[in-house]
Amino acid sequence: MHHDLLAHALIRAAPLLLFGILWQAASSVGLINAAFLPSPAAISVALADLLAGGEIGTNIFITLFRAGAGLLLGAVCGIWLGLMMARSLKFRAWVTPIVGGTYSLPKSALIPLFALWFGIGSITAICAVYLACLLPMTVNTFQGVVSTPKVLTWSADALGTRKRQMLRIYLRHALPDVFTGLRIALGFSFVLAISSEMIASTSGIGKLVFLYGENGAYDYMFAAIACVIGVAFLCDRAMLAVSAWCLRWHESAADARAA
Amino acid sequence: MTARPNEEGVRAAGLRLRSLASVLLLLAIWETAARAHLAPTVLLPAFTVVAADLGRNIADGSLASDLTLSLYRAFTGLAIAGACGILLGMLMARSRAVHWLIDPLVAIGFPSPKIAFLPVFILWFGIESLSKILLVAFACVFPVIIGTYSAARAVHRVLLWSAFSLGTTQRGLLMCVILPASSPRIFATLRIALPVALITTFTAEMVAGGGGMGATLVYSQRFFESPTVFAYILVMLGIGLLLDAGVRVFARRYLAWAEE
Repeated sequence: MHHDLLAHALIRAAPLLLFGILWQAASSVGLINAAFLPSPAAISVALADLLAGGEIGTNIFITLFRAGAGLLLGAVCGIWLGLMMARSLKFRAWVTPIVGGTYSLPKSALIPLFALWFGIGSITAICAVYLACLLPMTVNTFQGVVSTPKVLTWSADALGTRKRQMLRIYLRHALPDVFTGLRIALGFSFVLAISSEMIASTSGIGKLVFLYGENGAYDYMFAAIACVIGVAFLCDRAMLAVSAWCLRWHESAADARAA
Repeated sequence: MTARPNEEGVRAAGLRLRSLASVLLLLAIWETAARAHLAPTVLLPAFTVVAADLGRNIADGSLASDLTLSLYRAFTGLAIAGACGILLGMLMARSRAVHWLIDPLVAIGFPSPKIAFLPVFILWFGIESLSKILLVAFACVFPVIIGTYSAARAVHRVLLWSAFSLGTTQRGLLMCVILPASSPRIFATLRIALPVALITTFTAEMVAGGGGMGATLVYSQRFFESPTVFAYILVMLGIGLLLDAGVRVFARRYLAWAEE
């Protein structure tokens, strides 16, 4: 069983290895100009140097902190907003044009505005991430709650459920949608954190990548980008694992096991 | 629950009135807060000042040239991503070898924040439009591949078997059965990719300059021309809303046969 998993993972990852070997070969032979694309070996050396020096670690943690803080705030407010919109027609009528308008706005457009208000640094980044995460959380929670079958709420009513406990029913029914929203928001949080670091910040991985590019240290630039890809990939996988565990009671879990 | 139609009409009108009031109220609060100098004018110019600045930008043609440049970049990038993504997604769905080859790249590429590649694209393709267009294509191609792949996999087997038993070639199967049958879902993924294209274009312009909405927005912020900052954000908001509405109209007109 364990061996099977390992073999399966190897077969899946084989194209990546193949790709890396081809790239290295092309670089060694001189087909690829190192000034445009450093070889995987050179990037690995730079990566090891970066990891040993700690510079990359500090900057990644700054970026992760900004992305995480914005994501957390956005998730909490978004779930609340979505729940309120689904429960009250009047509240929905009031906020729909504002939510709809901000939903269509490319959120990175607000980075210069936040930079104007809060200056350069973490607050600007967190605000941009927060707004970008708020919208998918609101919309997905709203859809999850609004689609709660009447049978569920009526049954709960008939059993004498109090209003507070009703909220738990709605949220439980909306949980798959909330996780869909969270995964979208997670992706946005990285994009917005890195964008705002490139536009208005003096720290973070986005700034670091850009600085290496401007100074012509391309092997370090690629190494830093490789770190970004790795961290984003791992976070996405972790989110998938958490949502699979939280939704193991749901119908979709059985489908996933069968597939 | 059992309101008469008339009462329901009144209620719907009441709700719509609330929506309208909400926007007007927001604008009124903005205007009075700015006029009362609750915040410095640099941080919060009055709505009327912003509107006047917007009018000036429209009149001297700077907005039009920025907007066409940005939209040109966004849509060219989206078109490239659409063409490549649909092709790759179809191939992945039809061929195991292609699936094996591309799947790990997509698995890693999809969750990665594509904007981090901007310095690489600048290095390879220069500071002008080309690097931005290709970055947009790169950012949009992953959702299109995944969407097309799952759309093509979801085509009903009966359709495929019927076509086969009638003697369709592989090419005919792809062009006349799979592509039309999966077109509504492919369209849905393009609809997801459209805002990605806009965001990537604006962000790339903000970071790298070279004209366009994003570049002007950042320059205005650096020189503290806040009315222009607000005006450009309002225009971007309008573009987002307009494109969204346009896509919805298109879907209702041409894809009404595909009921989800």
